[in-house]
Amino acid sequence: MKCRLFYTFFVQSIDIGKIIGIIENVRYYNSSAPTVPLFNIISGGTLMSEKLLNYILEKKHHEFRVDYTENLAEEYSKKGFSPEERMADRFERLCLAQVPHILPEEQICYVRTTRQIPDCFTEAEWSEIKSEHFIHELGYISNLSPNYEDVIAKGLLACRESADEYSKRAIDNIIALADRYKAEAERVGRADIAAVLTRVPRYGATSFREALQFFRILHFSLWLEGNYHNTVGRFDKYMYPYFKADMDAGIYTPETALALIEDFFLSFNKDSDLYVGVQQGDNGQSMVLGGIDENGNDCFSELSKLCLIASRNLKMIDPKINLRVSKNTPIEQYMLGTELTKAGLGFPQYSNDDIVIPALIKKGYAPEDAANYVVAACWEFIIPKCGFDVANIAALSFPKMVDNVLHKDLASCESFDDVMAAVKREITAECDRVTESIKNLWFVPSPFMNVMLTERKYKNFGMHGTGIATASDSLAAIKKYVYDEKYITSEEFVKAVDDNFENTPELLDKLRNEAPKMGNNDDAADSVSVALLDMFADALDGKTNCEGGVWRAGTGSAMFYLWHANDIGASPDGRRKGEPFGTNFSASLFAKIAGPVSVVKSFTKQHFERAINGGPLTLEFHNSVFRGEDAISKVASIVKYFIDRGGHQLQLNAVNLETMKDAQAHPENYQRLVVRIWGWSAYFVELDREYQDHVIARQEYTV
Amino acid sequence: MTGIVFDIKEFSVHDGPGVRTTVFMKGCPLSCKWCHNPEGLSPTPEIMVRTARCRHCGLCKAHCSHVDCKPYERCLHACPDGLVSVVGKVWDSDELAKKLLENADFMETSGGGVTVSGGEPTMQADFVCELFDRLSGVHRAVETCGFCGSDKFLRILDRVELVMMDVKLADPALHKKWCGVSNEPILANLERLKKSGKPHIIRVPLIPNITDTRENLFAISELIGDSPVELLPYNPFAGAKYEGVGKIYTLDGGENAHVDLTIFKNAKLKA
Repeated sequence: MKCRLFYTFFVQSIDIGKIIGIIENVRYYNSSAPTVPLFNIISGGTLMSEKLLNYILEKKHHEFRVDYTENLAEEYSKKGFSPEERMADRFERLCLAQVPHILPEEQICYVRTTRQIPDCFTEAEWSEIKSEHFIHELGYISNLSPNYEDVIAKGLLACRESADEYSKRAIDNIIALADRYKAEAERVGRADIAAVLTRVPRYGATSFREALQFFRILHFSLWLEGNYHNTVGRFDKYMYPYFKADMDAGIYTPETALALIEDFFLSFNKDSDLYVGVQQGDNGQSMVLGGIDENGNDCFSELSKLCLIASRNLKMIDPKINLRVSKNTPIEQYMLGTELTKAGLGFPQYSNDDIVIPALIKKGYAPEDAANYVVAACWEFIIPKCGFDVANIAALSFPKMVDNVLHKDLASCESFDDVMAAVKREITAECDRVTESIKNLWFVPSPFMNVMLTERKYKNFGMHGTGIATASDSLAAIKKYVYDEKYITSEEFVKAVDDNFENTPELLDKLRNEAPKMGNNDDAADSVSVALLDMFADALDGKTNCEGGVWRAGTGSAMFYLWHANDIGASPDGRRKGEPFGTNFSASLFAKIAGPVSVVKSFTKQHFERAINGGPLTLEFHNSVFRGEDAISKVASIVKYFIDRGGHQLQLNAVNLETMKDAQAHPENYQRLVVRIWGWSAYFVELDREYQDHVIARQEYTV
Repeated sequence: MTGIVFDIKEFSVHDGPGVRTTVFMKGCPLSCKWCHNPEGLSPTPEIMVRTARCRHCGLCKAHCSHVDCKPYERCLHACPDGLVSVVGKVWDSDELAKKLLENADFMETSGGGVTVSGGEPTMQADFVCELFDRLSGVHRAVETCGFCGSDKFLRILDRVELVMMDVKLADPALHKKWCGVSNEPILANLERLKKSGKPHIIRVPLIPNITDTRENLFAISELIGDSPVELLPYNPFAGAKYEGVGKIYTLDGGENAHVDLTIFKNAKLKA
């Protein structure tokens, strides 16, 4: 007989709690299939309506979309509308322009039927605004974690009582659209949906399904109002009471609950192609699971497990799953997370409560708020319900600081200590410059976000730190070859870098293949990174921003790993002009690294308690690592190792180089191939070539 | 003392229990036609070119005066893409043990350890024994083809917690034909292993129409008795590295026949 290559799970009912036990016990030799496979943890089939899933995958709902291209800005400008009036009016018109559609067999409804959201201000008006204010990105509110919890519990009518005129209009429009959805549901014979919409969004949810539908309406409305990177927050925490009550009442079995969650997760993907960030997929629909609450209790529940499984089954890029863990997290949670990693989505991203919470407290967050942290669109740590931080307002390029020192100071530095002192001066000066340049911050007022985020306790700013490995390797190379071994003079080194190593192939070879690199647990490079991050934290410590908040140093790069790399030429680590940096907090792309254990060691030495804006280490695993009977527990063990060593944030990629290369050649065959980019996952074929190439380059050195 | 190692792989998940670091010793007395590590065959350091990305600029073939390039026909330092390297590094057993033990904490967490593979570890038995002696705190495993004298075999066996031993072909003539040497010492060591009581796994590479025949598998099952067996499916990329070390892969490959696991008492297919 032919032997099974994969574990297949033959379980009569889905007792999620037993899955881990099953993983450990299943062996495949000589097994014959005893029963119908209800739940197959490897192939991960969905339990939700196949008809609905295919409907969305085939993009049939796109047929309902129409263009909405009215020039509202001109009209508002002529009428002399205030910003609040413009936002309220635009939202009203967009709500009215929606045509309710109930999709086949869906439990959670709402689908956007207008493509565009026209700007509220003319170009001339923006110029004027920008002459007086610092405008962050698009100027509209983004990257926050609204108070879904209270609004879902209270209902919009209760929220309306304390709302201002504009927010009342927003609420009225949301309720009116819900009523039209209800009428449409009745028309097509979906009494179940109509019943849900009778209760929500007017009143607080009384069931799990009502709560999910309520969330969908709120989230949909935030997007429609023009806010962006609308995150999901601690979903398993605020939804748990509804879930538990319905499970206890026997309304759902684990299977039917999973099917509902899949249906709900699918709703994040109905309109997401309209929510474009820097690249398709960069839409900030981040969900946080697990972690401790304000009393130190673990929030990871059966609902959390079902969310991990639903994401694994759907294999779609939204919602983006984050898992909060700590030293006390049992290996079983990591194993469930690893099952999701194996699916190749780049989820979950892990963050370490043991590091993040104390660090946030140190930055001035109240302990109960710090305990409740979530991630913004990618990985910036923010506070749900009361945080109004701008976690991605600026970015420091570490390699640029080194480049400045190279050209301004190196010739006069007598020792490596002098070099590091010069680097510290550069970092301090750059942080001074950036923090002073951001004044009079202004966001377009957002009437509905005002309902969703009434309390705004924290107005801190976060700054990314890009290319730390490139900078650390560069400085380590300068130390080794200029000061320790005196292989080359500082003048010759600068010239070689400026010449892009064209005339110094042997130096280039040394730098690329022999010099110390982060990722090898080599203190020669790692200790420099520790110093650099400390300098960054020192430079921002004690600074007050224009909103009265503090500044936070981070380890993220966002898209700057490409942009900042083009700001400088070659670098002293042997990186040639035009080669990008690693993403976020990761090794240099061309560094020969010993393996993931050494990488984890190199990237857990830094003082994250001082630099907690977020930005993960990325580990890339060839997908063959996930073959074999103990693969899940083996990969889970390195995640746990990272957390136990005090790492702050980690994302993992399961990738196959051959698959990606083939996808570049034959994109039509890989419509659903997902890869992790910087703080989000994307469909590979929808990325611009330079982002595709960067992901491929990362793999060339993967184990 | 020193030994020659051609690779050290961290986070090795297919070479024994837990997550392991695998040390690949250079040099092998066999010359199996399907070997997927051709750079491990010769016992001495040799040049390897990652040909897939080579732009044929010719810089590595220009004359140079580097001492370390002398034994080779190419310059090791000229390639703009770093594709030319020497495979085979001399390691001192103390230093290697020290390096491996850096990750001992993680090995313990994951229930892993160190595996010494190859090439063929028994070809550098003295070095391997010394290395194992310095790793006595961690779980030690060896992957061997078993082609060596009883003394070397038993000395290594004495120093490990797990032996993974290949048995490729039961028939001596076929073994000579496909692996270049007789299997007589291998089968003698197999008997020693079975009698030793040492935990072990027998591994059988499934090479289409060569080792995966019913006759061969049946004969192997008779030889090994109750010992646990892992069957290794044929790797169609086995020939990938030959060009890089100036060799030619001569096997046609193909697909594995329908393998009947019930031939064995205790077998599974390795993923």
